[in-house]
Amino acid sequence: MNAEAILPYLIIIPLFGAFSMPIVSLAGKKAREAWAVIISGATLVVASALFYHVWDTKEIIVYTLGAKTPFGQGVDFPIRIVWEVDLFSAIMALTVAFVSFVTVIYSIDYMKHDTGLDKYYTLILVLELGMLGIAITGDLFNFYVFLEIMSIASYALVAFRNDTWEGIEAGIKYMFVGSIASSFVLLGIALLYGQYGTLTMGYLAIKLLQNPTVTAKVALALFIAGLLFKSGAAPVHMWLADAHPAAPSSISAMLSGLVIKVGGIYALARILFSIYSPLGNKILEVYHQPYINMSAVGWVIIIFACLTLIIGNAMAVIQTDMKRLLAYSSVGQIGYILLGLGIGLTAYGSHTGEVALAGAIYHTVNHALMKALLFLVAGAVIHEVGTRNLNELSGLAKTMPKTTFAFLIGAAAIVGLPPLNGFASKWLIYESSAIYNPVLGAIAIIGTAFCTAAYVRVLYTFFGRPSEKIANAKDPETSMMLPMFLLVLAIVVMGLFPWQISDKVMIPAARMLEQFNFEYIKALISLAGGA
Amino acid sequence: MDVMANIVYPVAGLIGLYAFVSLASLVWEGIDRKLVARMQRRVGPPLLQPIYDFLKLASKETIVPNTANYMFRAAPVLALATTIALLAYTPMGFEPLLSSRGDVIVFIYLLTLICFFKILGAISSGSPYAKIGAAREAAIMVSREPAMMLAIFAIMWRLGKLGVEKPFSMGVFYQHNIWEIGTPLSFVGAIILLYVFCVWLASEIEAGYFNIPDAEEEIAEGALAEYSGRYLALLKLTKALKTYIGASLVVSIFFPWGIAGYLNLSGISADIVNLLFHTLKVFILLFAVQSVFRATTGRLKITQAVELLWKNVLPASIIGTLLIAMEVIM
Repeated sequence: MNAEAILPYLIIIPLFGAFSMPIVSLAGKKAREAWAVIISGATLVVASALFYHVWDTKEIIVYTLGAKTPFGQGVDFPIRIVWEVDLFSAIMALTVAFVSFVTVIYSIDYMKHDTGLDKYYTLILVLELGMLGIAITGDLFNFYVFLEIMSIASYALVAFRNDTWEGIEAGIKYMFVGSIASSFVLLGIALLYGQYGTLTMGYLAIKLLQNPTVTAKVALALFIAGLLFKSGAAPVHMWLADAHPAAPSSISAMLSGLVIKVGGIYALARILFSIYSPLGNKILEVYHQPYINMSAVGWVIIIFACLTLIIGNAMAVIQTDMKRLLAYSSVGQIGYILLGLGIGLTAYGSHTGEVALAGAIYHTVNHALMKALLFLVAGAVIHEVGTRNLNELSGLAKTMPKTTFAFLIGAAAIVGLPPLNGFASKWLIYESSAIYNPVLGAIAIIGTAFCTAAYVRVLYTFFGRPSEKIANAKDPETSMMLPMFLLVLAIVVMGLFPWQISDKVMIPAARMLEQFNFEYIKALISLAGGA
Repeated sequence: MDVMANIVYPVAGLIGLYAFVSLASLVWEGIDRKLVARMQRRVGPPLLQPIYDFLKLASKETIVPNTANYMFRAAPVLALATTIALLAYTPMGFEPLLSSRGDVIVFIYLLTLICFFKILGAISSGSPYAKIGAAREAAIMVSREPAMMLAIFAIMWRLGKLGVEKPFSMGVFYQHNIWEIGTPLSFVGAIILLYVFCVWLASEIEAGYFNIPDAEEEIAEGALAEYSGRYLALLKLTKALKTYIGASLVVSIFFPWGIAGYLNLSGISADIVNLLFHTLKVFILLFAVQSVFRATTGRLKITQAVELLWKNVLPASIIGTLLIAMEVIM
């Protein structure tokens, strides 16, 4: 199997699907839904093949658009757009494709009372496309384009139910602040391009190490600011708490499971580790050259992570709106991922740092699965009962047993109970943070205590005395149960082999991200000979 | 061969332990009732009364309220299943069957999970009495665990300093014990922690002061209000097993000595002798913590109990922990 040959299909298939959707829609409702399922299913197949290849060979795939090599005629630097896929990218691509696939299946029945569904399916495929693009790209401007594709699709989808006031309100809020955050990222890219004259991530890394200027530091600050916003970190998490409840639940599942991770966490990790090489800066420091202090950057991220952890989880405890609770819980879980990422950067080169980074990657995947599940459950509840108010949903387990069981599994996984997948990833983060700095470990535990309180409260409501409101509710139809079932299955199966997954997938992914041999740069340079 | 050593023997051991502990814990309940009766100048029931009770409950018709959901029926089974799983991690005179590094967390987790399933089953019944009982159970659970966790982690950490092959495993108590450290400070610390563990055990098995969640007189059996027949039998059995397991923990931390060494036994026979001796120690401990405490004290209010656990037991645990840790830190 030639990985370079299948990589473009990761973009081609959803792009083709999205663009052909208006035409296919002419054939009717059934054709439109079938087309969306086929397209996202095919994307999942490609993403799985890609993941398997990268995992199997442990090599970074480099793909050049338009030619055999990114290096132009007679020049010794890359001039074309390249896509670079390491294991972390492949994991993200697989997660994105999987969650998008189940979400599309879920949408068939969930969205059937809405109008304008040809636009809905187009947008959902464009959203998937944008996230896949972010995951595989190795070019900074290409990254920005995909980031905007993803962001604009998600603005539109948050405000999709434009006959409700809260959809419009949340959409406008998200769009205004989201655009500002995107422009930070663009400004950072412009600064780097002005200073170093290249946009290829791998080559930019070399240039940065040759001459780490103040401009590079300013650009880094802009990237961190913009991307922390996209990931919903603490001082700028307010859009998330409005956007997730207002969006259709299938979209909340994608926003919370994927958008904040790919557009925020993944992009941040890629920029911090692949462009601003921590190893290179360490070497410069040893030789008393000018360098960028990446461990200080790590501490900045840790501080935001601790804030996010506490604020997100604590705010989740006091919510009465089910989806708002889940949204704040997402903020809290982003805190764990950022904590792992920050420790991975400050403790760079040590075993602790590697474990923290592996924990962050692992938790990214796990949280995508569990939060997608929880939002799909919330969607089913809203669909059947018509309210999001937790106080009115007492005794739901009586009339919607399967749905509440799925919620029970999701809640137990997110709190981190051992037979489920959340345990191992959180454990890696606890362990590394406690070893690195016990205070950080204590903060992580406090966050989990809040998180437990929030979910136990919901369970207490769901399993309580049946209220009148829920008397006529019933479990939703198969096409809505199937995605939940798939996610529950994924959570349980991943929970049964936590350390195997950690050793075989997550630790290698962390190692590839850390680049102890400048693999990311070398993979690009290796194409230079073919010019 | 590996399959034998890794799967067949532990499973056989677990089944054997389960059979033995079910019997022993139910017999203990009979002894306890007899002893309390004698303290009150009554004759009391026969020793095997809890077994008759169990059989009778199991044969009775089971009534499920129409407000109950599926968890009402699942919770007793899950609670018993968790308890049986917990037996594999409980030290009973010898190293636990599935002893490994860090299994103390599994132990605490499973012990708490039993409580959680009981709460879930209670609220799933839809009965307001059960809901009040469950809320009390949750309040007590949250208040009692921190003191115990702090103490057990401190002890394990301190014993780990003496050199053990599997740190933070339930098996370390049979390699070193806290009396071995020998300094006066650690001795005082150990006595204080013994107090902490005794109060913890009393609240875990809801004896004396802490007979709150199931308080019959106030809230009609509380958490168990709606349970009848088979499910009640399962929950009663779970409670008996949990009593034995909780006491086993305290016994193995503070009184881990076996007698098989003195009798020159080894292998299976040593384990059996140690298990019997361990059971004797468990009965003696439970006599002090359960029978005497139950016979001589009344129940506290829930606020008083929570206050006792946070303001008295937790500080005691902190002090004891610091004393134990003192010479390592300084």
